[in-house]
Amino acid sequence: MKKKTTAAHIVIILIGIYLLIPLFATAVYSMFEKWTGLLPEGFSVKHYLTLFTEREFMSALFNTVIICIVPIVITILLVLLALFAVTVYFPRLEKYVQILCMIPYTIQGVILSVSILSLYAGSKGILDNRMVMLVGAYCIIILPYIYQGIRNGLNAVNMPMLLDAAEMLGASKLYGFFRVIVPNIISGITVSSLLAVGIIFGDYVLIRNITGTSFKNVQIYLFLEMKSSSTKASAVFVIIMMTTFLITALVLFLKNKEAKGRAKSAER
Amino acid sequence: MSYIRFENLHKSFGKNEVLKDINLEIEKNQLVTLLGPSGCGKSTLLRCLAGLEDVTSGKVYLDGKDITNVNPKDRDIGMVFQQYSLFPNMTVAQNVAFGLRMKKVPKNEADEKVMKMLENVGLADKAGSYPAQLSGGQQQRAALARAIVTEPKVLLLDEPLSAIDALLRRSLQIEIRRIQREINMTAIFVTHDQDEAMVMSDVIHLMNKGKIEQSANPTDMYTKPVSKFAASFIGHYNILPAEVFGKLVGEDLCCRDVVFRPEVVEISASPTNEEGRYYWQGKIIDSLPHGNILRYAVLSGDTQIDVDVLFRSSMMFDVGQELFLAIKKENCILL
Repeated sequence: MKKKTTAAHIVIILIGIYLLIPLFATAVYSMFEKWTGLLPEGFSVKHYLTLFTEREFMSALFNTVIICIVPIVITILLVLLALFAVTVYFPRLEKYVQILCMIPYTIQGVILSVSILSLYAGSKGILDNRMVMLVGAYCIIILPYIYQGIRNGLNAVNMPMLLDAAEMLGASKLYGFFRVIVPNIISGITVSSLLAVGIIFGDYVLIRNITGTSFKNVQIYLFLEMKSSSTKASAVFVIIMMTTFLITALVLFLKNKEAKGRAKSAER
Repeated sequence: MSYIRFENLHKSFGKNEVLKDINLEIEKNQLVTLLGPSGCGKSTLLRCLAGLEDVTSGKVYLDGKDITNVNPKDRDIGMVFQQYSLFPNMTVAQNVAFGLRMKKVPKNEADEKVMKMLENVGLADKAGSYPAQLSGGQQQRAALARAIVTEPKVLLLDEPLSAIDALLRRSLQIEIRRIQREINMTAIFVTHDQDEAMVMSDVIHLMNKGKIEQSANPTDMYTKPVSKFAASFIGHYNILPAEVFGKLVGEDLCCRDVVFRPEVVEISASPTNEEGRYYWQGKIIDSLPHGNILRYAVLSGDTQIDVDVLFRSSMMFDVGQELFLAIKKENCILL
């Protein structure tokens, strides 16, 4: 039995090393002037210092954060309102809403961006705006994740009964939903939002196809930097990776916290 | 004039008619129980009064006003649900204050009322706790405090004690009754437990298949059932077809059924002969202790009759023993 456990640990460590080597190498590469021989030469963190003081990079980072937040907020609001209407007034429509929300799982980024461009580019009005198109595209891409997170959260609370109770105490259905139901599913909303952040943060295809290089997020910045300095591009890559790691760690932390909270409630 | 009135009320879910022509009047400041088996429509009737279900046809009046189409939040009715339904994201005090906030009661006044109410239900020390940190009984008391702190016109209790263990349930029954009397509030209690209904109610409305089967005070409900269903649901009545009972006692009875409670049957090892009684014989086939009561199953002909006697040694009979049964004629209810 002990032998088996040891073997499993060795396998896991080997896989871990295999997966971490490229990341480690990139991190090392980003902290040296050049790496042509066996060992890198000229240790320096200047790329990191430059990046965090460079206006263009900070602007790209800011753009990435904004382009993450806007579609996520829009999608959360839309899904919450749709699920409120479906649960309270049209329960029979729920399966259709579920199908609609799951369709984007099957759509590839390239197909989505080309479809959006061919449909709206050149059209008159606000939909012709590339940023609006991009936000719309992200809303579609993250829809299944947000929907699933909120749906799971709603399944965990007895929404009809809580709404009835709120209504009997003088609240309207909508007020009861946002004041009583939403705070109880906030952890589910947070987890799905962080997943969505991860997806948007790592996107290159949609933003490249829809806005070209006119709207510079960190991915586009990385793409442009790769042409001028490979070590600096590595530093950008490391920052993106670290940010993604942080997001994942936050998701896991929240999920663990939620599971522990539920276990505590169940014990009581 | 009655305080609450249901007039020709019908409620259907699709083709399933759940409430059939309900006409019911409830007086002010009484605790009234809607009693009946699962699926008889008692909770639906309560929800129609609360406004949580639309009625198919008919009218609902509260305090002389037609509230049939009034929004639930505007009916001024408090409700306690079966599964507590406390808001998990709020503390006990915040839960209780929710209704007051909706009514825009000033904060100081609301805080004062909340604390007073929590003291009344014995939860003052739990004001800052979350529902998940409370026991079932505490949660239900918090739900009760939340429902009555706004001083609604009527308090509705939809099987509020069904998820609570028997011992705690008894103490909560007494507590609910005490609070209802203290604040002099009209309350409607839904339950399928006849003992609970007996303990708590001023008036019991027994429901069956979407209709009111019998309305009476607890004593009359227990001693004077008007139908076979009422007899079988309330107490543990022996229900015998008149023909069968007539053969046993050697008399012709002009009715369909004869019902009598197990505790009114007298049993003895030797025959007795007094005026105004029916007599017959039987054989004990089983005996079961029920607390201070011993219930004998007696076989008379092909009919089993249950007989309750106080659990004391002088009245003990053995299984298989032949004995004599007697019942006062006035204790037999002919249906």
